[in-house]
Amino acid sequence: MGNWERLVWNQRDVLLAGLSITVQVCAIAFLVAILGGLALCLVRLYVRPLRWLAVLLIEFFRDTPIFVQLMWVAYVWPEVFGFPNDFFNAGWLALGLQSSGYLAETFRAGIEAVPRGQRDAAFSAGLSPVQTFRRIVMPQVVLASAPSIVNQFTVIVKSSTLVSVITVPDLMSQSQKLVNVWYEPIEILTATAAIYITFIFLVSACGKLLADRLRLRYGLVAA
Amino acid sequence: MSIARAARESAPIFMSQVLSQVPNEAPSQVLSEVPSIRVAGIHKRFGPLEVLRGVSFDVPRGSVVSVIGASGSGKSTLLRCVNHLEPPDAGEIYIEGEPLGARVDARGNRKARSLAEINAMRRELGVVFQQFNLWPHMTVLGNVIEAPIRVRKLPRKEAVAYGEECLRRVRMIDKANEYPARLSGGQQQRAAIARALAMRPKAMLFDEATSSLDPELTDEVLGVMRELAADGTTMIVVTHEMSFAREVSDRVIFLHQGLVEEEGPPGDVFGAPKSERLQQFLSKYRKQ
Amino acid sequence: MSDALKQSLDLSMFWEYRAILLQGLIFNVLVFLCAASVALSVGLGAALLRINRLWPMRLIGTLHVEIFRNAPDYIMLVWVHFVLPLLIGIAIRRRVEFHPFTSAVIALGFVYSGYFAEGFRAGIQAIPQGNLDAGRSFGMSERLILWRIILPQVVRRMLPEALNLFVSMFKATTIVSLIAVPDLMYNVSMVIQQEMRPLPLYTGAAITYFLLIFLLSVGVRHFGERWRRTSMA
Repeated sequence: MGNWERLVWNQRDVLLAGLSITVQVCAIAFLVAILGGLALCLVRLYVRPLRWLAVLLIEFFRDTPIFVQLMWVAYVWPEVFGFPNDFFNAGWLALGLQSSGYLAETFRAGIEAVPRGQRDAAFSAGLSPVQTFRRIVMPQVVLASAPSIVNQFTVIVKSSTLVSVITVPDLMSQSQKLVNVWYEPIEILTATAAIYITFIFLVSACGKLLADRLRLRYGLVAA
Repeated sequence: MSIARAARESAPIFMSQVLSQVPNEAPSQVLSEVPSIRVAGIHKRFGPLEVLRGVSFDVPRGSVVSVIGASGSGKSTLLRCVNHLEPPDAGEIYIEGEPLGARVDARGNRKARSLAEINAMRRELGVVFQQFNLWPHMTVLGNVIEAPIRVRKLPRKEAVAYGEECLRRVRMIDKANEYPARLSGGQQQRAAIARALAMRPKAMLFDEATSSLDPELTDEVLGVMRELAADGTTMIVVTHEMSFAREVSDRVIFLHQGLVEEEGPPGDVFGAPKSERLQQFLSKYRKQ
Repeated sequence: MSDALKQSLDLSMFWEYRAILLQGLIFNVLVFLCAASVALSVGLGAALLRINRLWPMRLIGTLHVEIFRNAPDYIMLVWVHFVLPLLIGIAIRRRVEFHPFTSAVIALGFVYSGYFAEGFRAGIQAIPQGNLDAGRSFGMSERLILWRIILPQVVRRMLPEALNLFVSMFKATTIVSLIAVPDLMYNVSMVIQQEMRPLPLYTGAAITYFLLIFLLSVGVRHFGERWRRTSMA
């Protein structure tokens, strides 16, 4: 298959443009997921009257398949809520919402796992609840759930392939365009698959390294 | 006088009786009956460390051989070599005259045995481990009949019948349908002994069978082991229980740094130890 | 805005087409069952390779796991459906085409085999060595030990995790509509093309899946808690 050069290498600009869009969508979605997840988690734990709403939203975002959520956010929300106004925004919004459900549960588990004594010590020292949360509880939660958080990012990247369906020009969509032009799917699709697999593998590996390094530094993992 | 010897006073005379009265004789010279187990020149190393440096001894049929020694002397490794759980680097194990690691064909050539053949020979050895190693997802009876059904291919009824008999012998019959996690250590070990007996082995190997048990539970297991010895079971017992070794064995082997430092009948080994290291070792246990 | 909201919550249209949509859902279930069987068997095989004595076997197992765990479902689906038949066709010099159902089962099955393989491996390695020593000492063959000693314990240990994976897998079956397997989402898009009214249909699909998966998840969670407490005899 000497077509590799013709079909893949020469088209690398197209593919890289797609990859850039993929990275953008994923990065924004990840941010939304963290902030949204944190917000949902805090409401669920500390705002009693709205707890039912938070639980409902968390379950809804987690349990609905990402493809279904994507179509729903892309085609129904603009009519009902007025946004998202284009498909790029629909993409990161849907991805972010789904992962915020998972992260909300991850954060909740982490917060509940912090020993009560930590808060006792903080209050006894005169720290306010907000300070305690920011300086004592959350850092421990992040440290403990770092692997889950990194994993959720890889889930976002894997799900991002679906935004091609709502015509966002990501890597998947660009490679499908190339296939439609050249009618030779073998090299293009294999290369695309390889790019995704490698990218996700690297993200996973770096995330694991970072998480291990952090935990080592704080003595949570034996050297 | 050892219990084992007393029990055999009334039994027909075996060569092993003659053997046990001849101290410190090199095994190969006296033999006219094939020993149950012969250990011949076993060497074993783990990486740079040579744990067994040439161990040899015989276990005549119906006799009890105790192996004592300090931690790290290679006792457990030796036992694991006897049934090839750890294949020895050099030397051979003979089970009733048949070499375990290799086969000698008609022309006298040595051919290494396949795992399937070794497995077949392992059936003849019953092993009781320090950690009991009962299978947690089966009941006691399930543990006992598993090997007879799957390895010896006995019909289930037969396996259950004999299995229950073995459980009765170790006084565990009322716990037959319990899961191991619900039993005490002593009960688990007795169940493990029944499991080994259910295969009708030619010899029983005990690898520090009581070392994991609390002192109160140790006695119930030692009691079972004494009864087995009195019934004429061929046994190799690796143990720290010096009183057991002294009272029940026909022969005691003192292992030091991978070699047989001294061996003989318990009266000699415990009463009149020749080597200095053995004397040092025993002095630590004198208070028992 | 409230008009659109009303329209999207007007599920009478969804209800009207319920027969076709239910048929679609059954396809999701079928794909799930077949893919789950593939994932379990291939996953077990990969796990056994990962702990094999020979290093080439271990390498193959590790490669399998790393490739399929890190592969997006959708790209795998597209690749299996469009590229794999061509590769096989080149090898046997005939034209090969995969039925979309087949491609879906293979793609999802292999992707999730990666996750199951890791679960199996962790479960197998968690079994105390003593259990295996006892088995070997009784003369049990390695195959007997695997089936009678190792796997029963691994299954008990892994059941909650496996059930969670199954729920994920079921959610993943929604993408098979993209290679024209007539599942729920495919039928939804067919109806939309006919009726030109996407709001109630997409909303209906979202609510249907949400309720279904919510019930499954809650069930699995409760089962998992009870299982962890009472099992591991």
